[in-house]
Amino acid sequence: MTKSSEDSPSRRTFMTVIIGLISAVIGVAVAIPILGTILSPLFKKRDIVWAELGKIDDLKKIEPLTPKFVPVYFRVKEGWTINTLPRQVIVVKDITGKLYFFSNQCTHLGCPLHWIPARQKFLCPCHGGMFNVLGKVVGGPPPRPLFQWVHKLNNGTVLIQNKFMDNPKDRGV
Amino acid sequence: MFKKIQEWFDERIGLTELINEFNGERIPARGGWAYTFGSLLAFLFIIQVVTGMFLLFYYVPYFPMARNSTYFLKHHVLMGNILLGIHLWGAFTMIFILLVHMSRVYFSGSYKKPREMQWVAGMVLFSVVVILGLTGYMLVGNENSWWTINVLDNVASHVPFIGGFIRILVKGGTETSVLTMQHIFAIHVWLLPIVVIMFIPIHIFLVRKTGEQGMALEYKNSKLSDDDINKWKHPDATVPFFPDQLFKDMIVALGVFAVIYFLAVYYGAAIGPMYRPLALNFAPEADWYFLANEELLKYFPGHGLIIFSTFLVPVLGFAILFALPFIDRGHERSPFKRPAATVLGILFLLLLVYLTLIGGEPKAPATV
Ligand code: HEM
Ligand code: FES
Repeated sequence: MTKSSEDSPSRRTFMTVIIGLISAVIGVAVAIPILGTILSPLFKKRDIVWAELGKIDDLKKIEPLTPKFVPVYFRVKEGWTINTLPRQVIVVKDITGKLYFFSNQCTHLGCPLHWIPARQKFLCPCHGGMFNVLGKVVGGPPPRPLFQWVHKLNNGTVLIQNKFMDNPKDRGV
Repeated sequence: MFKKIQEWFDERIGLTELINEFNGERIPARGGWAYTFGSLLAFLFIIQVVTGMFLLFYYVPYFPMARNSTYFLKHHVLMGNILLGIHLWGAFTMIFILLVHMSRVYFSGSYKKPREMQWVAGMVLFSVVVILGLTGYMLVGNENSWWTINVLDNVASHVPFIGGFIRILVKGGTETSVLTMQHIFAIHVWLLPIVVIMFIPIHIFLVRKTGEQGMALEYKNSKLSDDDINKWKHPDATVPFFPDQLFKDMIVALGVFAVIYFLAVYYGAAIGPMYRPLALNFAPEADWYFLANEELLKYFPGHGLIIFSTFLVPVLGFAILFALPFIDRGHERSPFKRPAATVLGILFLLLLVYLTLIGGEPKAPATV
């Protein structure tokens, strides 16, 4: 017959340690796959795709310093689905004729910007961020100028990638 | 007949004794109405669970469908509007009553030794209930949900060092997608409610373990000095929880529930437009209890300071609140004998109201 814990203190210690160990082993064994499912998104690569914006010749025809909002549709794999993500591209031509492709997301926390023609500014409806037509912050809390979409020219067509230029932390989108 | 059943149980598990012990708890006699808010919160939480469970008969946590299934529930399910309305106004009421309960505990100094752990357990409940509110707002799947998810993810991304990871983890991926919604859904209907269900009994057990403390006015006849910890264990007069305190609890519960029901029937739950990522003139709005925080985000402009509004100020404020019993260790309880704490508390509440009011103002003209 085994000794009861009341017969010997060392037996008691032994049992306590074993109880603790068993709990720990089971706990860790369950925690590992749970952690896996929680952390899994960290190991997935973002699906980066190109989408057509329009013909460069048409885009070049816009008024200088007047933003034009052009929708773009990314077909992106998200989890187990493939979805169309509609996004706005703000096309702006500066006085030299150079085209900019801005995102309409505020660089503060990502709210959708409104263009206010009377003030020639983009206003953010969330915390009052303000940008001028070339994307520079002119008021409010945004920490950086407007994001610009990664883009390229292909046979006269402008292609946009679902990715912002110089955006190391991958904010927005 | 009834007697027989009772005896059957008593013989085996001593049921009557158990019930009597729970019901017989002595509650300080004078402040009765002020002590109803805790029970009210427990009552409101039960209402949330019960209504929420049946919302699940219809709700689909998938971005384009979530809003439509909610719309269907509201407009095409018999009395679905009332069910949804109770869940929404119940949630609002719960957050408001949390503030009332915390204020009563704060101003009466009820968090002081030996009741520190009650406060800490309470703060866990507070955080979880607020997150339940936020995730609920996101689940509707309307335009505001979409932007709330994105804005809060971006706020999270400003946590030093690990912000980017947190952002991906709460989104369940790199995009706001079907996985995001599923994560939020699991958190709202299962994970956090379980935490609340665990912590309410812990909280109430702790309260009862140290004895319901009540406010300074319960101790007018006590000859002991305020510094004597024994003083706060023996209120002048007590009443049993059942029926005296429960009677008051139930009256308050009925009154508050009637208000919730009225709001549910007459105002219901606004569902709002379907999310349109291309909309050019949409101004996202946070729920009212988040407006003070929202207002904070307007200050601290520029690159170096953004960390203050997204991380430092909220986290510091929360940490101070969490650790309050360990920071304020004086023995005085009466709000009049600790003027500094009382004035600070009132100022804090005023600031909260002020920030909420101006946080609700439109910040930019939608269109000019
Ligand atoms: C779901 C949320 C909550 C529920 C259901 C709840 C429930 C209760 C109940 C039933 C009582 C006893 C009677 C009373 O004074 O109301 C109580 C007391 C207390 N609560 Fe809460 N509570 C909640 C949240 C909180 C929060 C957020 C705090 C503070 C951060 C808090 C701190 C306390 C303290 C310190 C007491 C002891 C008061 C005393 O002994 O006089 N509770 N709570
Ligand atoms: S999100 Fe634009 S100012 Fe905050």
